[in-house]
Amino acid sequence: MRIALAQMSPVLGDVNRNLKLHKTLIDQAVRKRAEVIVFPELSLTGYKLRDLTGETALAPGTSPVFGELLKLSRRIAIVVGFVEASEAGHHHNAAAFLSGGRTLHVHRKVFLPNFGMFEEARFFAPGRDFETFDSPLGRTGLMICRDLLHLSAGYALQAGGVETVIVISAAPGRGSAGRSAGAFATSRMWERMGETLSFFTSSFVVYCNRAGFEDGAAFAGGSFVCAPSGRLLAKAAYAERDFILVDIDRSEVVRARKTWPWTRDDKPEVMLHALQRILSRHED
Amino acid sequence: MKIDCAFVGRVLRAFIREELNKAGFRRGLLGLSGGLDSAVAAALAAGALGPKNVLGLILPYGRSFPGDVEDAQLLARRLKIRSRVLDIAPMVDAYFRAVPTADRTRRGNKMARERMSVLYDFSVREKALIIGTSNKSELLIGYGTIHGDLACAVNPLGDLYKTQVRQLAAHLRLPAKILRKKPTAGLWPGQTDESEIGLSYEELDRILYRLVDLRLSRAEVVGEGFAASRVDRILDRIKRSQFKRCLPPIAKISGRTIGHDFLYPYDWGR
Repeated sequence: MRIALAQMSPVLGDVNRNLKLHKTLIDQAVRKRAEVIVFPELSLTGYKLRDLTGETALAPGTSPVFGELLKLSRRIAIVVGFVEASEAGHHHNAAAFLSGGRTLHVHRKVFLPNFGMFEEARFFAPGRDFETFDSPLGRTGLMICRDLLHLSAGYALQAGGVETVIVISAAPGRGSAGRSAGAFATSRMWERMGETLSFFTSSFVVYCNRAGFEDGAAFAGGSFVCAPSGRLLAKAAYAERDFILVDIDRSEVVRARKTWPWTRDDKPEVMLHALQRILSRHED
Repeated sequence: MKIDCAFVGRVLRAFIREELNKAGFRRGLLGLSGGLDSAVAAALAAGALGPKNVLGLILPYGRSFPGDVEDAQLLARRLKIRSRVLDIAPMVDAYFRAVPTADRTRRGNKMARERMSVLYDFSVREKALIIGTSNKSELLIGYGTIHGDLACAVNPLGDLYKTQVRQLAAHLRLPAKILRKKPTAGLWPGQTDESEIGLSYEELDRILYRLVDLRLSRAEVVGEGFAASRVDRILDRIKRSQFKRCLPPIAKISGRTIGHDFLYPYDWGR
């Protein structure tokens, strides 16, 4: 199974130009015989949208942009980032998994960063679930950027039987990582979290970040794929555009679980009980 | 406060190239003072855009600092960028003949704004964007002239302290003469930044780094052994110069107001 990671840089607030850019990269992935292509967070719109949030929002069920992507998804499965216009009139930072001409799943970002340089909760409504679904990558779960930094999000996907976690990201680089690391300090954090989650869940972790600049912030790149049990399979360039192909062997999930039977021995009912007890006594 | 110079250089060159290209420009220009910051900005721009696409304007006031003009010319030759010397004394003197003053601050500010005015005219003339040269140390303490040397289209150095710009300068192998030079705003003969600010850039940067990057409190910084009077002076300068780092406030009347709730990114549509 070959996965393409498109570490690209969308045009801020121009969905039509970004759709063209997606088509070019999808063609490239198809030519290279990839079966799945993953784009970064908000790949159809750019990240720092502010008041452009509503102006770039799409409804996957009716949007012509999705119509075109769904057509292309008959040739290759596509994971894309976009602003979802909900029926309630809210906007979500969302990821869609398209395959065989159908939308298999839409995940709405649950953990919206809202501190320091981030202001997502000012413009987006939060998602409320982490669901797994069947895809060409087996039982699959989607996360968006900050979702990966929450242990609880990874656990929810594990409890849902996840075999491949796909994280789409628009992580800006921060901090110079020592004398010759050749990366922002924050890139190492994402790699650690990805390695760890692949270990915890005995699953593949596919992390696709973006590149380019928006209002002076540099996106850190460094997309990667971890095999179950934390082994790094591939990593894209830091802080610049890249396009990488990664071949994964899905039977590695089963092999990892024979060595480390953590998913077999998991006890979600204990977690549910513990959480209910904690919540019943919770004071803000 | 050590930076990975090779990586930071790569990011800053990409920043200059992408910001200019997104705005539809291939060329950049900047004022060359003969000092360290403009030398680093020029070297980054030359690497980002190609030396032929960078214009360094050398804008002395008469013959007050002939050594700086020579250093700036040497740098331009070394980087193979285009350069031009233009004396701003006739423009500045014409103004002060009408409105005489011996106030060094007023005269210095006028010169900084005259240079800005020339740079913006050349920006249109050359179809080139102005690359700023202000560093994080001087931006934080407000050591610059608003609408003067602070004015630019993009600023690659604004998140690097002066001592970090020095690291980058050494990495970029800039002429030793420029590396060793005492930092000065060049507003009057004998002026140096460090005597005006009242402490060395090493000490200033270590205090700023703790207050700003590490978000330490005044008490924590003083607890590390820095003189309370110096920490207080820096905190006061940061606060008093906030106006130089923001657009002026707009009186809000309507339901949607520029700067309040008309919120579009700088790179809108780019």
